[in-house]
Amino acid sequence: MSTTHPGPARVQRSGPGPSAVTPKHLARAKITRQRRGSRLKLWAGLVCTLVVVIPVALARVLPLPGPDQQDLASRRLAPFTDGHLFGTDQLGRDLLSRVLHGGQVSLLVGLLAVVVSGLIGIVLGAAAGYFGGWIDTVVSRLLEAQLSLPLLMMLLLVVALFGPSIPVITFVIAIAQWPEVARLTRSLVLVEREKPYVAAARVLGLHRLAILLRHVLPNVVKQASLVVLLLLAQAVLLESALSYLGAGPQRPFATWGRIISDGQDYITTSWWMVTLPGLVIVALVVGVNLLGDGLRDRARRRKVSTS
Amino acid sequence: MAPYLFKRLGQSVLTVFLTISTVFVLIRMASGDPAAAYAGPLATTEDLAKIRAAFGLDRSVVEQYLLFLKGILTGDLGTSYSFRSPALDVVLDRLPFTITLAVAAILITTLVSVPLGVWMARRADTGRELGANVVTIAGQSMPDFWSGIMLLTVFAVLIPVLPASGFATWGGLVLPALTVAILQIALISRLVRSEMAKNLTAPYLTVARSRGVSERALVWRYAMTNSSIPVVTALGTRFASMLNGVVVVEVVFAWPGVGSLVVRALETRDYPLIQATVLVTAALAVTVQLLVDLAYPLLDPRVRLGKKVSA
Amino acid sequence: MSAALLDVVDLQVELITAGGVVRAVDGVSFTIGEGETVTVIGESGSGKSTTAMAVLGLLPDDLAVLSGSVRFGDTDVIAEPGALRAVRGRTVSLIPQDPMTALSPVHTIGRQLVEAVRLRRPELAKRDAEARAVELLDLVHVPRSTEQLGRYPHQLSGGMLQRVLIAIALAGEPRLLVADEPTSALDVTVQAGILGLLLELQESTGIGILMITHDLGVARLVSDRIHVMRDGRFVESGDVEAVVDHPSHEYTRKLLSAVPVLGPWDEDGTAAGGDR
Repeated sequence: MSTTHPGPARVQRSGPGPSAVTPKHLARAKITRQRRGSRLKLWAGLVCTLVVVIPVALARVLPLPGPDQQDLASRRLAPFTDGHLFGTDQLGRDLLSRVLHGGQVSLLVGLLAVVVSGLIGIVLGAAAGYFGGWIDTVVSRLLEAQLSLPLLMMLLLVVALFGPSIPVITFVIAIAQWPEVARLTRSLVLVEREKPYVAAARVLGLHRLAILLRHVLPNVVKQASLVVLLLLAQAVLLESALSYLGAGPQRPFATWGRIISDGQDYITTSWWMVTLPGLVIVALVVGVNLLGDGLRDRARRRKVSTS
Repeated sequence: MAPYLFKRLGQSVLTVFLTISTVFVLIRMASGDPAAAYAGPLATTEDLAKIRAAFGLDRSVVEQYLLFLKGILTGDLGTSYSFRSPALDVVLDRLPFTITLAVAAILITTLVSVPLGVWMARRADTGRELGANVVTIAGQSMPDFWSGIMLLTVFAVLIPVLPASGFATWGGLVLPALTVAILQIALISRLVRSEMAKNLTAPYLTVARSRGVSERALVWRYAMTNSSIPVVTALGTRFASMLNGVVVVEVVFAWPGVGSLVVRALETRDYPLIQATVLVTAALAVTVQLLVDLAYPLLDPRVRLGKKVSA
Repeated sequence: MSAALLDVVDLQVELITAGGVVRAVDGVSFTIGEGETVTVIGESGSGKSTTAMAVLGLLPDDLAVLSGSVRFGDTDVIAEPGALRAVRGRTVSLIPQDPMTALSPVHTIGRQLVEAVRLRRPELAKRDAEARAVELLDLVHVPRSTEQLGRYPHQLSGGMLQRVLIAIALAGEPRLLVADEPTSALDVTVQAGILGLLLELQESTGIGILMITHDLGVARLVSDRIHVMRDGRFVESGDVEAVVDHPSHEYTRKLLSAVPVLGPWDEDGTAAGGDR
């Protein structure tokens, strides 16, 4: 039998009371702010990225002078003069055209490098995580070794020895980036391996390699692909550093880093030659990073709410 | 403890060994005649033969490799082509400059990113924190050579407050160190933020709050101390990647360190100098990593005192 | 009848989650007097832990919206959230669910215990505070108490840690203990020791206990009065013997019958017992 509560008689509710949640509460709630934050990041990131990628992709189609077209009568013109949106450099070349065409090479190199490093990283990381044993030992040692080395020097050396061609530069950047992909893939695979569905598949007689390829990898690739997006940003930065130091691709077009190093001598008289290409790099990398951040926030929230 | 120490030491030595061997192999694989690079375009065939004999380039590759290894053990890494003096000495002369730059950058990084990260964690997901978030993202998105040039132009040329290059006075350290620090600050402050956020919502913190511990003590005594372990380890681990940024920054500011040295050595195909630089930098990076790994038990009591005490 | 240590009237807790506004606690009222143990029992998700957290004001502002009243003596901590600081640790203390994560892993037991002592008695010198800390450890029957001050949480077993947590809770000299499933994370053999300790402390100090649990055995052992909670509301309340022996609500009956009962073995394999 229920007893009444001790103490002086009090009016108590018998049914559910009204909600005390006000719109102000909702607006200030953590979940609202988080959602708003990641939505902002996604949109801002997308805009910044597209502002750079779309013009670069359309470089050949846009009504611009050629990137190597010199016009010694129009040297070092300020932006917005004579139809040159970004101005011209010391040889009268249209800066915007140089930036966009160079950007095609930069982006191409970045994408290729990310694909290559992604493939190497996922394969090695998954193998190390899934099969363990000596594969894991070798891969882990390689990972540790590479992460504690002065990588840029080695990369510069390779480019100096084998020439600054696109394949070499792509290869070099891929070498710089595969450890991060491999490390992430390995830890993801280690987690997946312990899950019941893997044991179930083994019981059903599936060969280990088949389980890895058909079941484990698809689950892992989605999370790993987020890292790949952020690696693209890193690849662009690395490519521009290499090309600034003179180790970047020369053909067909000079890339962003090289354009900046060319303009360095004229910084005080023609600031646009260094500032504008740099801002383009920053815009692209910021955009990609914001996108990655926003997507990661969303993925993390989804994981928390299903746990 | 001792067997772990030996194992880590062995790993580090192996890493350096592999690195330097890779460099050796790469150089031998390349096209171009080092003797010609050393002698210059006006050398005769006899001169080249003499140089080759002097540098041991006429021996077999395996012999050269063994000589090379012997040289490392005796501290003789050959003679720099462009400096005409022992390569190792050239590198060691310039090493202190690079280390100074790196240490200054780490100091600036720590001083800025810790308060920033804590500030961000306490206001997680507010409008202001979002702004700070975007700023840190911008910080890790700027190419270091570009931010270096920008800073140089503004503070050394337009408003001539600081020296533009070299290390004539301590003031010359400010801009290069700041440039290297920008990226590190962006990354470390985000790490501080996420660690602090994790600790500020941890069960032990809620329990501490339940017994009336002040908010200040919760943040600075409990959350901060727990967060500091991964942050300190990260600072140490980032040393090797920071060296990458240092190379570029040394070129921009004409800083007389090891980074600008190696770039010049690559341009002049000065192989002994390249090998010496890679060896020294690899050894340095690996040593720092080793020290960080060894310091870890000192910081974290869970690692230091593993066993459960039966009570 | 003695003055109530805790008086909760129409407490309502709404949580703003990704799935919308969830009413975790939907209007509960109860009182705890001196020397009493009141238990809130329910399944996972019934809102019992949320009730305990709400009483202590430990739910984040940007997640939970509280209404109703929670009175410690004269202070309503829902109406005046600022009063919580004075109440926490001094009037009411928490004994958490998982002892393994309830203490900072990088500070010693002694440091955290002494801090709790000094929060209550700031005038004590360090040595006196440490002496008091050792006293408290002895009170909760932690062996070799002086040694334990220098140990880190990961070096102690779950049962030992829970005793330490009780000592820390007592350092504030509270009148009420909120025990949020204090034995759920412990081995069954250790549970009895902790519960026995709580009862012993209640007898010697007259402290009140709000016990949150899903375990009927625990409830029976320690409670004076019991509230059965489901989906955020109390479905039945009363003296523990009355509710357990003569449950009047359908849900209470189901809860009680869920306890397996051992019967005699049968030759043909069917075990007797089960439903009462």
